[in-house]
Amino acid sequence: MSFAASLPWWAALPAATFLVLGGLITLIGAIGLLRLKDFYQRIHGPAITITLGAGCILIASMIYFTTQQSRPVIHELLISAFVLMSAPVVAMLIMRSAVYRDLRAGRASAITGGSNSQVPGNDKQP
Amino acid sequence: MLLFSLIFVPFVGSLVAALLPADARNREAWLAGGVTVYGLVVAASLYPEIAAGEILRHDLPWLPAQGLDFVLRVDGLAWVFTMLVLAIGFLVVLYARYYMSPSDPVPRFFSFLLAFMGSMLGVVLSGNLVQLVVFWELTSLTSFLLIAYWHHRADARRGARMAFTVTATGGLCLMAGVLVLGHIVGSYDLDVVLAAGDRIRAHDLYLVALVLIALGALTKSAQFPFHFWLPHAMAAPTPVSSYLHSATMVKAGVFLLVRLWPALSGTPEWSWIIGGAGVCTLLIGAFAAIFQHDLKGLLAYSTISHLGLITVLIGIGTPLAMVAAIFHILNHATFKASLFMAAGIIDHETGTRDMRVLRGLRHKLPITATLAIVAGAAMAGVPLLNGFLSKEMFFSEALLVGSDRNWWMSAAAVAMGIFSVAYSLRFIAIFFGPPATDLPRVPHEPPRWMRFPVELLVLACLVVGVVPAISIGPILDVAVHATLGASTPQYDLAPWHGFNLPLLMSVIALVGGVLFYVVLRNRFDLHARTRTPLIYRFNGAQAYETVMLRLTSGAEWLLRWLGTSRLQPQLLIMIIAMLGVPLLLAGVPTQWTTIPRQGTDPLFALVWVIGCVCAVAGAWMAKYHRLAALSLIGGTGIITAITFLWLSAPDLALTQLMVETVTTVLILLGLRWLPPRIEAKELETPSGVWLHRSRDMAVAVAGGLAMAALTYAVLIHPASDTISDFFLLRALSEGGGSNVVNVLLVDFRSFDTLGEVTVLSIVALTVYALLRRFRPAPESTGVPAQQGHSLDPASHQTPAEQANSGYLMVAGIYLRLLLPFLGVIAVYFFMRGHNLPGGGFVAGLIFAVAILVQYMLAGAVWVENHLRVRPHRWLAFGLVLACTTGLGAWLFEYPFLTTHTAHVTLPLLGDLHLPSAFVFDLGVFAAVVGTTMLILVALAHQSVRAHRLPSEEAPQDSRRPS
Repeated sequence: MSFAASLPWWAALPAATFLVLGGLITLIGAIGLLRLKDFYQRIHGPAITITLGAGCILIASMIYFTTQQSRPVIHELLISAFVLMSAPVVAMLIMRSAVYRDLRAGRASAITGGSNSQVPGNDKQP
Repeated sequence: MLLFSLIFVPFVGSLVAALLPADARNREAWLAGGVTVYGLVVAASLYPEIAAGEILRHDLPWLPAQGLDFVLRVDGLAWVFTMLVLAIGFLVVLYARYYMSPSDPVPRFFSFLLAFMGSMLGVVLSGNLVQLVVFWELTSLTSFLLIAYWHHRADARRGARMAFTVTATGGLCLMAGVLVLGHIVGSYDLDVVLAAGDRIRAHDLYLVALVLIALGALTKSAQFPFHFWLPHAMAAPTPVSSYLHSATMVKAGVFLLVRLWPALSGTPEWSWIIGGAGVCTLLIGAFAAIFQHDLKGLLAYSTISHLGLITVLIGIGTPLAMVAAIFHILNHATFKASLFMAAGIIDHETGTRDMRVLRGLRHKLPITATLAIVAGAAMAGVPLLNGFLSKEMFFSEALLVGSDRNWWMSAAAVAMGIFSVAYSLRFIAIFFGPPATDLPRVPHEPPRWMRFPVELLVLACLVVGVVPAISIGPILDVAVHATLGASTPQYDLAPWHGFNLPLLMSVIALVGGVLFYVVLRNRFDLHARTRTPLIYRFNGAQAYETVMLRLTSGAEWLLRWLGTSRLQPQLLIMIIAMLGVPLLLAGVPTQWTTIPRQGTDPLFALVWVIGCVCAVAGAWMAKYHRLAALSLIGGTGIITAITFLWLSAPDLALTQLMVETVTTVLILLGLRWLPPRIEAKELETPSGVWLHRSRDMAVAVAGGLAMAALTYAVLIHPASDTISDFFLLRALSEGGGSNVVNVLLVDFRSFDTLGEVTVLSIVALTVYALLRRFRPAPESTGVPAQQGHSLDPASHQTPAEQANSGYLMVAGIYLRLLLPFLGVIAVYFFMRGHNLPGGGFVAGLIFAVAILVQYMLAGAVWVENHLRVRPHRWLAFGLVLACTTGLGAWLFEYPFLTTHTAHVTLPLLGDLHLPSAFVFDLGVFAAVVGTTMLILVALAHQSVRAHRLPSEEAPQDSRRPS
């Protein structure tokens, strides 16, 4: 990290800001995962971490390496694209299984009371 | 090269014959005949040099580092044997053309026969003892294949097994004997060994070498007490019996004894071992032959007896006896081959070989009868036939044994003469008397060319018997001179030597034999006897079967007491051994050097804590929550990958990550088929269980700690002179790549990689073979408990429907979108492998993951309808590519797997750096993809198969709610 010290201020400032922001968001997400009482609420914690938190850190990384190597480094765009695509899909699959578990246990009220987006009834008709 | 072709051409012919169509009886016979004629011409062209007493040698480097050369050595003896093998071989091929039925798989027959011919020539022409043993075993193997030619018959299989077990065991003894001999002499070269006779006989290990070599020779030549395999080998087709089991292969044993005569003979041990076995065989064989009812059985025992005669002569070991031995080898081959062929004709024409049924055949088969009677007379030793000459020589040698007072040897010789006349009469008797009416087939003379070999051989018997000195004389002389060298005696080949003792013995044998046969026939009812009197108790075959049975039951007993089919005890013993043995061998380590702790990174430590927690928790959950355990172990794997990355080993990290992914997914697929584990909380655990659980726990913890200690010990010891510097220095300059790991894998140590890839393929094929016939436990064949509920989409949708339009649609679209990306990434990692982290292995895994994901998403049926996955071809393609790349180096006369780097300038891509290791890496890539896919397919098809059974009831009860 020898280069970090010699980073020009105009690059260091946004990079540091994004890093701190990303870290904060991730921390908030982690606390949310720990503290929220319901599964359907808790799932928002990791989602926020993955999208916003990771996004901020990736932007910081782009700024840092672009300045360091004196050429545009945009690998991170690819990473963000894949992260942004896989995270919601994974979250959806996890939520579906939670819904299924609740349905089997007969806790239909929990579904209607919590989030009403994921009811498996609509894809039962092939 | 001409010499080399003598051995090489029959093997090539064997391969070609195997590839010919099954109904090409004529073409195969022409091929085999052509091969033998070629061999005969080549061998005959060597005669001037051989007759001049030269020894032709041809050396090819075989294992030069071990001092082993592939040596072909032709002296007189080898030349005579070569001619014998080829000449009889030619006649047998001609005979077999007419003998074999069109419904038999003829290509196999001629292929094996030619392979045998090549092996036999190899034995005869070897100038190196180790090489001789190799060909020796090859003759055993081809003999096994030929005896079992009609493998639908139980007696053929049994006879083949017996012959192979006995001769191959003898071959192993011979191998050991040759090694001892090589140790004594210091060389395996035949010339050196033959010249070192005095040194060998004086050595302490002489007896060991002699016994071992004698075991090899005696088993091969069917000598007592190993003679029992030969009668059972008669289950082979008659051309095989005629060729292998009378004329050539069984002569290999006596050939070896003659060959090594200069090196080993001349001691009392030699005479007692070789001569003793010979005398027993001679008498037992001749006696038993009288009481056979099967034509070929009689001839087999007679062969045993004649081989015994030759062995006795070799055992006597005087120069004149050796002359007689070689002479009798030739004579016996001539008349016995013709007798076997005649027996084959009789079998072929009448449909039976039972001498109790066969009678009066001379009326229907006049020419065959005449031929067989002449050959039979030669076997009995009737004057003016070749058998008489060598038997006369045998009698005169027998008289010399034991000087004037001890006449036992002479008595045995006369007894053998009497017996042989008796069994020859028994054989000939089938041609006389009233014609048999109850034969399975009405006999008539065989085709002209089927009889031709017999005619030729019988003619040879007559010519040699009447004018030996000008017919066989020169040939015998060549062989004798080559064997005896300077000590060649003066001998006289003539049918008439005046009135002397041997002639008297011959007369006694002839008259006594006729009387003996008449008495046996009229007084003892020869035809009604079912077993050989007196010696039936010494049944070698029974002893062999008993030994085999004992061996089998002994192995079963050992397995029962030492083996277990349960995994737990095996693991326990293995771990305990791993803990105890190193300590016992190396003792307790004396001191621990401590290395100063330097800059512990708290973050790295934290990563490791997570990994350790994952591992321990995985072990904790393994019993009842397999899925959780698997996920946790996966976590440990990822921590390992991170560690590699942290410690600057990106290649390893990448590979670890991919391997982790693939194994986790594959195990996940396999988990589905494990029966569910029921948690028994209520049951009270008995104290004994607690006890052994604690023991297992202690062993497991100790094992883990020991591994940790070992790793630690390795880490704190300063690295000694490793070769890593070599690789680091040479990777770019000589391997042409800056990624040392990859250059190491595909260039410097590519042979290693080739082996690993092969092992991978074998593992994949084994998994496939195991799972192909595997059916899951009945309780896990149905829909899993987790999916059993009617609310689950899986209960009324196929996996493909779920992915295409059901609840997995989003994930389905995403994962299918990902497939080309993963393909591109695989290509990317593959292409940059030589210079940056990546390479064929990682690329293969990535590609496999891409397909794996599709299987998981939409199920095996859908994927295989849309994508043709052929893992076997991937495997084959990968291995072939890797091998041919390696072999390509040979074209440029470089060692196997040498890498060539080409620099190509292409219009669009610019300067390209293309090492041949790149192609090798492509092979690795394909093999890895094939391996992973094959295991995946084997697992995935379980579901296709498993649902086939319960599919009737599963959809019914699940459709109800919808």
